[in-house]
Amino acid sequence: MRRQALLSALVLLVLVLAGCNGGTVDQHALDKDSEAIDSLACEGALLANEIAHTASHTPFSRVHAGELYTRAANFQDALSRRPTTPGIEQAVREEAKKAGAIAHLFDQLAGDPSNPELAATLKPKFEQQGGCA
Amino acid sequence: VKIFQIALGILAAIGGFVDIGDLVFNTAAGATFGYQLLWVIVIGVVGIIVYSEMCGRVAAVSEKAVFDAVRERVGFGGGLVTLVAAQVVNLMTLAAEVGGVAICMRLLSGLPYRWLILVAIVALGVVVWVVSFDWIERIFGYGGLCLLVFAVASVKLHPDWGAVAHGFVPHLNTEDSLLYLYFAVGLLGAAMTPYEVYFYSSGGVEEGWTPKNLGLNKANAIIGYGLGGFLSFALMIVGGTLFLAEGIEPETLGTIALGAQVPLGQIGLLLALIGILFAVGGASIDTLFAGAYNLAQFMGWEWGRYRTNAGAPRFTLTWMVLLLLALGIVVTGVDPVQLTEYAVIFSVVALPLTYLPILLVANDRSYMGRYVNGRVANTLGIAYFILIVFISLTAIPLMILTNVGQG
Repeated sequence: MRRQALLSALVLLVLVLAGCNGGTVDQHALDKDSEAIDSLACEGALLANEIAHTASHTPFSRVHAGELYTRAANFQDALSRRPTTPGIEQAVREEAKKAGAIAHLFDQLAGDPSNPELAATLKPKFEQQGGCA
Repeated sequence: VKIFQIALGILAAIGGFVDIGDLVFNTAAGATFGYQLLWVIVIGVVGIIVYSEMCGRVAAVSEKAVFDAVRERVGFGGGLVTLVAAQVVNLMTLAAEVGGVAICMRLLSGLPYRWLILVAIVALGVVVWVVSFDWIERIFGYGGLCLLVFAVASVKLHPDWGAVAHGFVPHLNTEDSLLYLYFAVGLLGAAMTPYEVYFYSSGGVEEGWTPKNLGLNKANAIIGYGLGGFLSFALMIVGGTLFLAEGIEPETLGTIALGAQVPLGQIGLLLALIGILFAVGGASIDTLFAGAYNLAQFMGWEWGRYRTNAGAPRFTLTWMVLLLLALGIVVTGVDPVQLTEYAVIFSVVALPLTYLPILLVANDRSYMGRYVNGRVANTLGIAYFILIVFISLTAIPLMILTNVGQG
């Protein structure tokens, strides 16, 4: 019994140390999420550019844009609902809003993945959201 | 005919070096640190060549694969610990690879993921049941060579070759040393992942290697793993040239494939997806067989595809059960990429238990006669064993401290 309790405590400690800290968003977590959201937007710009300028494989474009949509939407959901450390609430909610805007762009791209004109209009929007190089 | 004879090495290397986790891990390392970790791949490639040559030689001389040696040299208790660790990691990896096959088929076809998991499981089961070992090696090993498209892509992206060359010089990154070490340990762990040697040594027995095939063993180890390392270089250069510059953190197979599409267009994308499909499919078969080989060898059962399915019934039943267990894991919706990243780090912990018995047996004159390790093999073997112990002790702490590489 004692061994089981010890093992459970160890597993819990590993999870806590690994970052499963009850879901509270602190400044470090916000910075990391913000980087990941920008990365999604920049990947969206790259994908949109391929669709706009080359004959991209349609199932790939649809599925990949859909996958990136899910990730962006997950960030939006998590940042909208998770508790935050005091003082950064506003920044967290703004990041959630940005993730939502990026998810919306991916939704449009996944909905019409063989439309080069649409992709060309979405590309600068992705770049603007992600501050891409 | 000669080129077909190195299929074992190519399949073991493609399955081991460029499976779903490695594809993402190598590219992510490039996207995070540019070309700075290329030297780690070189160290990993030399290490896996040294130990694969050793266990292939043991298989050729004694007709015994790794887990025979583990059981004999480490005893039942130690052998059981190794077996459990190996099987857990194998099963995690197998589930991840099956998920990877389904993801890849989805990117190619657009069909629903859950249905494609079933298709992947059935297809793998049929291939393993029907196709001979030789042809499994050839189909998946040479199909995986489509991944060479990443080598072309890396050139077409016009990297700074001076910086690439500098990446082959061992050095530390002082800006984010913990994350750098985490990637270094992960890359080494991925290069020397245990299932490669389980599969490789058992494959040698499957192919009926004898001491006459020792040259073939060397060629398989050097060319096969050399090729795997070359593909890893290419992926890291693509990551360092394209994704680092664009501010993209690659976390999905689709992103990796995009790395071939940007410089090469649709043909690059399709070759990348087909290459990934065969490589990940090959890795599924590597891990599936490795799991069945390990258990059968440990228990002393008849094993091997060179026997008929009915000729090794418990071996056959084992791989079927493993395939079903993998199905059970992957249908839960677990992210295959994350699963295999954990599997790589946990497999690092099991590395010493796998590699020590190989080193001991390859030095045992009663086993090996005049084919025992020479001075070079021993020096390298011992040096790598020390390195393996070091990385096995640091893997989990680094995983925790870097939040699984997320910083």
